[in-house]
Amino acid sequence: MDSFTIAILAGVALASLAAPLGCFVIWRRMAYFGDGLSHSALLGVAVSMAFNIASEIAILFVGVGFAAFLVFLQSRRILATDTLLGLLAHATLAIGILAMSLLGADEIDMHDYLLGSITSVTTENAIYIIATALLCLTGLIKLWPGLLLMVTSEDLAQAEGVNVRYHEAALMLAMALLVAASIQLVGILLITSLLIIPASCARLFSQSPEKMALTAGLIGIICVAAGMLGARETTLDPGPLIVAIMVGLFTVLLGLRLIQRRPPH
Amino acid sequence: MTTLIEGIDLCLSRQARVILSNVSLKVDAGDFITLIGPNGAGKSMLLKTLLGLIKPDRGRVIRKDGLRIGFVPESLNLDPTLPMSVARFLTLNTHGGGLSEDIISETNIVDLLGRQMTALSGGERQRVLLARALHADPEILILDEPAQNLDMSGQLNLYALMEKIFKQRKIAILMVSHDLHLVMSSTQKVVCLYEHICCSGEPQVVAKDPEFISLFGEDMARLLAVYPHEHDHNHDHSTNHGHHHG
Repeated sequence: MDSFTIAILAGVALASLAAPLGCFVIWRRMAYFGDGLSHSALLGVAVSMAFNIASEIAILFVGVGFAAFLVFLQSRRILATDTLLGLLAHATLAIGILAMSLLGADEIDMHDYLLGSITSVTTENAIYIIATALLCLTGLIKLWPGLLLMVTSEDLAQAEGVNVRYHEAALMLAMALLVAASIQLVGILLITSLLIIPASCARLFSQSPEKMALTAGLIGIICVAAGMLGARETTLDPGPLIVAIMVGLFTVLLGLRLIQRRPPH
Repeated sequence: MTTLIEGIDLCLSRQARVILSNVSLKVDAGDFITLIGPNGAGKSMLLKTLLGLIKPDRGRVIRKDGLRIGFVPESLNLDPTLPMSVARFLTLNTHGGGLSEDIISETNIVDLLGRQMTALSGGERQRVLLARALHADPEILILDEPAQNLDMSGQLNLYALMEKIFKQRKIAILMVSHDLHLVMSSTQKVVCLYEHICCSGEPQVVAKDPEFISLFGEDMARLLAVYPHEHDHNHDHSTNHGHHHG
């Protein structure tokens, strides 16, 4: 297998995880959380440069710290969650960029981290991405009924023995793992799109949560693969290209939906 | 009578505000108890404490071993982006139980099964929630403001359905409500809560209680006192003045 085939496989694995996770992101209105989490990844990269550790591990640690700090601040009820998220996201992004510059990162590095780069995906990276996706998908399938019940009503879920805190933490951890895994392929600026656009496309035509997750997975896989192929044939950045293809597809599907003129349920 | 669930001397504060102060409440098998009280009186918090969703600052909750509870929450935060049919919602649980034909006809939701949850009216949604709670084959049903947001006929239908379930299944019911008129004409026992338990007992008796009158006003009390009481069994007509101030 050549390195590009492996990269494509990694992209497909990433899309299959991002799609069901993205469903929960839109059901629970966590899009800004995903955005904030991915911004914090740049600080993670800086940490990995400073201490010479694997970037995936550093990003994961910073991401988990980001989520924990956010949950702590939310419990204090001083500011609204969207304000807190904006504050934390930009703080980690700004400090991350400054730290990276001070540590000697050049513009090409920065560009690759923000917008993705297929050539930077090594075989080890690809294996890490595929392993992460498999691990998270297994967890997601196991926790699926509890997670769905939690989305419907936290009180009901808890009264029926679902540990809501644990499920919520698992969801956040999966998102942190996804961010850490996807930074090379799509770049941190566009990770949220990978989560929410396929799920939004799937919502237009789905009657059940399971169908929505599977449809989103299929759409995500097609778009990521197409974007990566396109990026190889041209000099375009893979991240923006993947997102542009997704948005194009969403626009077409939305148009079809509006022509059909049926309410979405 | 077997005691199903009992809260003893429950105390709860949130952000320096006292919500429950030394509240004790016992639900026995066969009880139909309605918690009433003004807004912010701590009714929902008391339910959640009894359910184990909230830990009290002091006091304890005792439940019968292996007690099966059917819970109907105050609301569902259903996001319109979540596609979910009624049938799927009814089978959405962690124990993998299926649909029961009996419960579906008992709650009259046959025609709703294929509909999306977000497309239901308030009354339809409550019937679906009730059906879902019954799937656990509960010994006690706990309902938080089930008739809220329903119009008058919706409220009457729901209360009639609950009476039917209560009589046919012989299960206990504990519910929160502030539709005083309906409560007074359909419940066996009323517990009036405002941080502490102000008074409790049969509706007729509670309506004459000075604490009830001071909470809801003279006019309301007089109105309710004339409601006929239809239960044909005997109760001890003692009001329990559980005044535990401070």
